Amino acid sequence: MATNPLRDPRDRRLPRVPEPCALVVFGITGDLARKKLLPAVYDLANRGLLPTNFALLGFARRDWGDVEFSELARSAAREHARTPWREEVWERLANSVRFVQGSFDDDNAFDELAENLAELEGSHGIGGNAAFYLSIPPAMFPTVLKQMQRTGMAESTPDRWRRVVVEKPFGTDLASSRELNALVDSVFSADDVFRIDHYLGKETVQNLLALRFANTLFEPIWNGHHVDSVQITMAEDVGIGGRAGFYEKTGAARDVLQNHLLQLLALTAMEEPVEFSAEEIRTEKLKVLRAVSVPADMAQFAIRGQYEQGWLAGQRATGYRQEEGVSPESTTETYAAVRLGVETRRWAGVPFYLRTGKRLPRRVTEIALVFKRAPHLPFAPTDTEELGHNQLVIRVQPDEGVTLKFGSKVPGSVMEVRDVAMDFLYGEQFTEASPEAYERLLLDVLLGDATLFPRNAEVEASWAVIDPLEEHWATIPPQPYRAGEWGPRAADAMLEAEGRQWRRP
Amino acid sequence: MTTLWDTTGSAVVKELAAQRRTGGAVMSGVALTLVVVADEGRVAEAEQAATAAAEVHPCRLLIVVRRQIEAPVPRLDAEVQIGGRLGPGEAVVMRMYGRLGLHAESVVLPLLAADAPVVTWWHEAPPERIARDALGVIADRRITDASMSPDPIAALRTRADDYAPGDTDLTWTRSTPWRATLASTIDSVAGRRGEPVRVLGGQVEGDPANATARLVAGWLASRCGCAVPVVPSTRVPGPSGIAGVVLQLDEDEEVRLQDDRKGGAVIQQPFRPEAVVALPDRSLGELIGEELRRLDSDEPYSEALESVTGATGLAARSADRDHVWFDPMRPEQAVEPTSADADGPVLPSGAAAPAPTVPDVPGDTDEVTPDAEPAAPGRRTPAAKKART
Repeated sequence: MATNPLRDPRDRRLPRVPEPCALVVFGITGDLARKKLLPAVYDLANRGLLPTNFALLGFARRDWGDVEFSELARSAAREHARTPWREEVWERLANSVRFVQGSFDDDNAFDELAENLAELEGSHGIGGNAAFYLSIPPAMFPTVLKQMQRTGMAESTPDRWRRVVVEKPFGTDLASSRELNALVDSVFSADDVFRIDHYLGKETVQNLLALRFANTLFEPIWNGHHVDSVQITMAEDVGIGGRAGFYEKTGAARDVLQNHLLQLLALTAMEEPVEFSAEEIRTEKLKVLRAVSVPADMAQFAIRGQYEQGWLAGQRATGYRQEEGVSPESTTETYAAVRLGVETRRWAGVPFYLRTGKRLPRRVTEIALVFKRAPHLPFAPTDTEELGHNQLVIRVQPDEGVTLKFGSKVPGSVMEVRDVAMDFLYGEQFTEASPEAYERLLLDVLLGDATLFPRNAEVEASWAVIDPLEEHWATIPPQPYRAGEWGPRAADAMLEAEGRQWRRP
Repeated sequence: MTTLWDTTGSAVVKELAAQRRTGGAVMSGVALTLVVVADEGRVAEAEQAATAAAEVHPCRLLIVVRRQIEAPVPRLDAEVQIGGRLGPGEAVVMRMYGRLGLHAESVVLPLLAADAPVVTWWHEAPPERIARDALGVIADRRITDASMSPDPIAALRTRADDYAPGDTDLTWTRSTPWRATLASTIDSVAGRRGEPVRVLGGQVEGDPANATARLVAGWLASRCGCAVPVVPSTRVPGPSGIAGVVLQLDEDEEVRLQDDRKGGAVIQQPFRPEAVVALPDRSLGELIGEELRRLDSDEPYSEALESVTGATGLAARSADRDHVWFDPMRPEQAVEPTSADADGPVLPSGAAAPAPTVPDVPGDTDEVTPDAEPAAPGRRTPAAKKART
């Protein structure tokens, strides 16, 4: 950005506001757009973080006019917005909302979209800058991208930027993700591609970097000398909802392990970046992902499961195979647990246990560093019976925060040491201040800040981890577990084999 | 909630500790202590704003109301709240009567959260010299509001004379939306040109007697190195005192921003259609929330203040203040009388002066802050009458 005398790096009250631009959303009538994107756009506007010249273009098959679309956008934003509703803010935004109707293979519709964009350049002064959000199934990507190439919409020039936002899944294996990356990169230049992993937009995940690299307290123990093992959990209490078609083809490993869990692993295990910039952080994450090793004994250390009928939160839950749209013989996993290694000097020998599942007792995502026990305890063995491993837990959701678990003397006349927890609560009371993940990520896209977006090489490195697991699992049916349990027995056995056990989050 | 009538500072400390113990899950991550000094008539307003700010920045909230300095007998009434009306954190509302008001720090000091920054906010006419209020001297950041003074522009001058790094004023905070809009407008001109923009001159149209309007003009002048006057506008400006801003740029261009009186601003700039951006009025709570985000000194503010008042070298001043004794009833007195030879109400010297003192009980001595676990839980101050609600 060229020099502006009113910008002063010391003046930190003034927010970062993107240049004038347009946001084009493909699949604007979808669930994600209605529940996350539109409210995020409103919240940004309400916080004064959108540029003075901004336009929102929706593209979908539905036969709508600007007015109907505006009405839908309004009710969606109003229903899901995080910040208080201000009619005047929305009215201002609504003036620059357009809708283009058409299917993705319709040349005319894309020509109309291109025209609309060119027109907004003049009438709304967006200066030719635009971000395209592909909120559509990946199968549609090629069609849409080719259309954008044909109409010249995807070209960044020195005068204007064009960016594209892609949602997961980024392919289904290494080969397909390479293909997808090649396709996207052939249309947009690599710097203009933003792959959204909404977990990285969460405040706690960013706080992980602050916790690790802004403090002196944790760095000396953040290695295999002190850390016994790392457990990364992402549990959901819900089933697959209405996504049977998608989930049957995907499964827990591709849906969650490949992206969210491996990204959390990368942030936990990475070395300190040279500076806090997108390029440097991604470089360090990539190094970790490339150093990830899969277990040699897959039968023992790579477990997948599938939920059966059971009781969850006081309600009967049907089994996965009984869900609507799911084959009664389905072998798709709804639970995956794996022991990975990170082959670096810092982490050699430390197991990273990753698990994810649906229909588990509660919704929780956390990273737990389990420390080694003290090499020598000067107490009588009976004094420390209740002393476990020290733990540092980063709670990503809910109750965002950090917990430190350590031993403490039980007050009284005898020496007795017991585990206690010290809590730092990030969210909950203060959620008002922390923006929704999509709000943050959308703003970063418009600002061109790629810090929180994985690069294509990271996506490919993640698939390189998942592919051998999928290959192993292809022939083995998933182990059953009851809905409302913490996964199949085999997953517990996996840790017991090494004398450890899962933390109950 | 517990109300302690005619009580002492140590009883308040104990009550806070007792409530922390019995309150169940109490918020633990306290980032700072916010001390609010308010007039009785504005307590409700201040409470509401401080509560809103506390939701964004976890803090311990201490509200100090000084009443009837001339009352013959000093007295302290306190209301201890955890997770109640005053938000999720710990809060104490203290009413101080008589000459205790001049020693408010004696009650406040033991209540500060351990090793956390202290912010003092005067929700009343700002003090002439912050050093005269010990509650300002102990603070790392001091928030005043010149608009509460009968003559806000004179109040700004006072702020400049009295300035020390770490001071800030809500009339400056109110300018943020305007300043952000101005900066992003110039961004868009610079983005279009692809080269630096120079601002050659301009003016703020609005109310010249409004401190925020003056500070925006001062800020523009300090950033652009040209004179930016505030000229009376034909339209009645909103609470920010600004009806519009015009900036003359190089290359013979001009940008014009105008308050549209509907919570927005209309932006006119060359080669671009007219645009409207939101410029909502913010509540007092939001303003305090913005202030608590950063606790270091605010150089752009000091430069804007210099530009408005003509004072110089503000940023180079020492950030520390020494307390200066000042008794509003005897303004000529330079030091506090130390013994009974003073006329008027007789006071013992030292900090913990006020009347009903807590009898020394064994085990009480190291209970200085509520963070320390008291050795004798549940013991109540015999001297204090209390009412639980």
